[in-house]
Amino acid sequence: MQQRYLDPATLAGISGLDLVAKTVVEGFVSGLHRSPDFGFSQEFAEYRMYTPGDDLRHVDWNVYARTERCYLKRYKGETNTMVTLLLDASASMSYSSLPVSKLEYAKFLASSLAYLANQQRDSSGLIVFDDEVRQFVAPSARQGHMHRILHAIERAVPGKRTDYAKPFFHFQQFLTRRGIVAVISDFWEDPEVVANTIAPLRWKGNEVVLFHLLDPAEVRPKLSAPVVMIDIETEDEIEVSPEYAHTEYREKIDAHIEAMKSAAQGAGLDYMMVQTDQPLDAALREYLSKRQRRL
Amino acid sequence: MGFLAPWFLAGLAAVSLPLWLHLLKQHRNDPIKFSSLKLFERRPQSSVKHRRLKYLMLLALRLAVLALLALAFANPFIRRSPSAIASGTKLVIVAVDRSFSMRAGDALERAKSEARAVIGSLGAGDTGQVIALSGRTELLTQAIQEKPELMGAIASIEAGDGRGSLGELSRTLRSLAEAAKKPVEVHFFSDLQKSSLPPGFNDLKLGPMTKLVTHEIAPAKRANWALESVQAPRTIGDPKLTRILVTITAYETVAAKKPVSLWLNGRQQAAKLADIAANGRMTLEFQGLEAPYGWSRGEVRLEGGDALAADDVFRFAIERADSRRILFVREERQARSAFYFKSALAATGTSNFAVDELTPAQTGGVDPSKFAFVVLNDPAYLPEAFIDALKRLVTSGGRLLITAGPGVAGQERVPVLEAKVEQSKYASRSGERFLTVIKPDATHPAIQRADRLEGVKFYQAVRIDSTNLRLLARLNEGTPLLAERTMGEGRILFFSSSFDNIANDFPLNPSFVPFVEQTALYLSNADERPASAVVDSFLELRAPGDAAQPARQVSVEVLDPAGKRALTLEESVKAPTLTLAREGFWEVGRQSGRELVAVNADRRESDLSALPKETVEIWQKMGSDTGTSSSGGPEESKPWSFWWWLALLLLAVTVAESLFAHQYLKSERPGA
Repeated sequence: MQQRYLDPATLAGISGLDLVAKTVVEGFVSGLHRSPDFGFSQEFAEYRMYTPGDDLRHVDWNVYARTERCYLKRYKGETNTMVTLLLDASASMSYSSLPVSKLEYAKFLASSLAYLANQQRDSSGLIVFDDEVRQFVAPSARQGHMHRILHAIERAVPGKRTDYAKPFFHFQQFLTRRGIVAVISDFWEDPEVVANTIAPLRWKGNEVVLFHLLDPAEVRPKLSAPVVMIDIETEDEIEVSPEYAHTEYREKIDAHIEAMKSAAQGAGLDYMMVQTDQPLDAALREYLSKRQRRL
Repeated sequence: MGFLAPWFLAGLAAVSLPLWLHLLKQHRNDPIKFSSLKLFERRPQSSVKHRRLKYLMLLALRLAVLALLALAFANPFIRRSPSAIASGTKLVIVAVDRSFSMRAGDALERAKSEARAVIGSLGAGDTGQVIALSGRTELLTQAIQEKPELMGAIASIEAGDGRGSLGELSRTLRSLAEAAKKPVEVHFFSDLQKSSLPPGFNDLKLGPMTKLVTHEIAPAKRANWALESVQAPRTIGDPKLTRILVTITAYETVAAKKPVSLWLNGRQQAAKLADIAANGRMTLEFQGLEAPYGWSRGEVRLEGGDALAADDVFRFAIERADSRRILFVREERQARSAFYFKSALAATGTSNFAVDELTPAQTGGVDPSKFAFVVLNDPAYLPEAFIDALKRLVTSGGRLLITAGPGVAGQERVPVLEAKVEQSKYASRSGERFLTVIKPDATHPAIQRADRLEGVKFYQAVRIDSTNLRLLARLNEGTPLLAERTMGEGRILFFSSSFDNIANDFPLNPSFVPFVEQTALYLSNADERPASAVVDSFLELRAPGDAAQPARQVSVEVLDPAGKRALTLEESVKAPTLTLAREGFWEVGRQSGRELVAVNADRRESDLSALPKETVEIWQKMGSDTGTSSSGGPEESKPWSFWWWLALLLLAVTVAESLFAHQYLKSERPGA
């Protein structure tokens, strides 16, 4: 059966992030109906013998009926997980060569992740940052929290430069429980700096995933004539020839992506390269599949 | 500098179009924002500056295209001297005179030697051309730079027999100068004979930018005796009656006695001593020849030596044949007319006629077609049979001369001619009343050389009805004196008086002998060519045809004086004429028999006196009128239009603009 993905441009036409997230996740989940236990904490892990004091709710009564022995059904992270979303809202995220900018795509992605977590009754939190923490929604699984997160995502606007140090320092302040940290950014920074800044989260037992979001024109720029380019964040100008953009730049961006991937893997971070022309549910599916395989 | 069509300069306003377009286009090249320039590098060569440079180049090329287009249409010009236009190089024409007079001493060799020196001094880039002047101007080479070829052409020049003409040379130089389109320097090596001058100075006009340098090849001595002409009959009957008149002319000489000899077929026939005055002219006469039947080669030689030995021989061709017979019909009492007629024919010395006299009564059984022509001298009575025979003769191409006197006046109609006799006109000798000739047709052969019959007194004449007659001469009271009628293929000539010195004094007048001679030649249809021709004259090989009767394809064979065939096979069948280019005896073989043609150089070449210096200077200045001169006077500048150079530049700029625009505007390949 052919899987139909959701074009980012189509998602952009849907008003309200809650509806976008619902469309993405439910479509995604319905596409995976044969594996209903996919999710952050629904993953089946093993059976173990019942020992006194265990919660009887986890006893697999079907097994007991067949074997007259009590087994408990164990899940990975069976306790509620805290999902924290770090959304880069720096100026560079506003770049777009397509109808959907990187920031919009990042909003869709963050909304979908939050929605997915909410579906599993995990608590979820949000930090919107550029060179400062612009918005902070503390993790929670309470009723109505989902709307607060979506509202915060909705209000995110392109800011200034990116500085990973401040938001991550801030994040470490309130991080009390282990969980999943999803960082959505274009990572226009030295990969080593990114890895070194984010790696401490991993040391505290968190599962960190980096969504490296790039516009297709950033990976394969197409110039027909020499042109002056202006950096959105720094407003520096540089004259770029088509020859350079088509040869040396491509080699450099490929090397940058590879370095980013290597640095993330070296620091024990999950890494996902996502381009904004890529269907959102496909990107989400790919990430979850990889995570499943890893577990 | 100026413009021949300045209103086209208004087109320069069109240059604002690319300016406007390019300025508009500039706004479309705004800088673009990019998320991060971390991976971009600054390069030492600014690609944008480079692009701007290309952009400015494209703009400049487009402006140049429009500006050049407007300028080219405006047809700009500058004033330049003709020599500057010709970019420094020149055409050196070496003209060597090889006319008959250059046979004097070693004149031709000296001319060739000096010509070689001029070729040797040709400058780099100059071209040379060798031409030779004889009867015609011959181009021996094209305009070339190869000196060996030019030297070879000069070495090949041989003395000719033609007459040099400065007019012909100037005409050739004009056409060469017009074709060369650059300065022409003419070196003319010649004895510069005065006799070579054309009738008018205008014929000496030289071409544009032509400088004439004359190199006079003066003969060692100029004293020259020349055989100017030899008058001999072309056809003779009785050799002993043949008279040959020799005219000798002396140029720049002292009085001298020169032996003159007559030769026939290599044998001397006679010799005389000519007593020639200083710079004088005299005539000698040789009487009688020992000529065999057929063609003989005759020569008159002048002994003694002079500046130009080649003109001391004069050739003539002579043919001995049986005399042509003339039938002269007269009454017994008209012996005087026959006497005067025969005497006149004999006096010419060049005619070959024999006259048979018959009375009308003796004409029975006579076939008039056996005679060259028939003379009816005042026929009072003629047998009917004879009249019929004469009519048949004339109708079939025969010729008849009728004279009128009392015999004709007594009849109603002129016999054979059938013209009505109107009346007789009489004038009295005693009263000094006489008639004279008016309105003679001098173009008719019969009276062409008769000095218009001036001074002849006519006392009696018979007036006839002139209907259907061509009147050749009238008497002053209107009576036709000489009339001609064509009957069938023949002709009848009617003379309204007689030859008896009674009805007129014509037989005693100097015009009588040429009249009788020419009339006899005309009526006998005889060949009237002289015994010799001039070099470069034309020999008619066959009668010209017309649309109704094209020339017959009959082969004619011609041997030149050296005994070689002068015609190719095709020419021998088709050529209408042949140029007699050399002195000597030419043999012409026709279907009707062999013919000998003696050819002599034009004796005007014998006068070796040179052109006055003033005349030479005038000739040289004929080139200065057109821009340059041998004296190096100020040159008149001329407008020189260079629109075609602009057009070429426009083409080049247009091509460059196309290439540049293609390079500049071409779109990148997707994914490249």
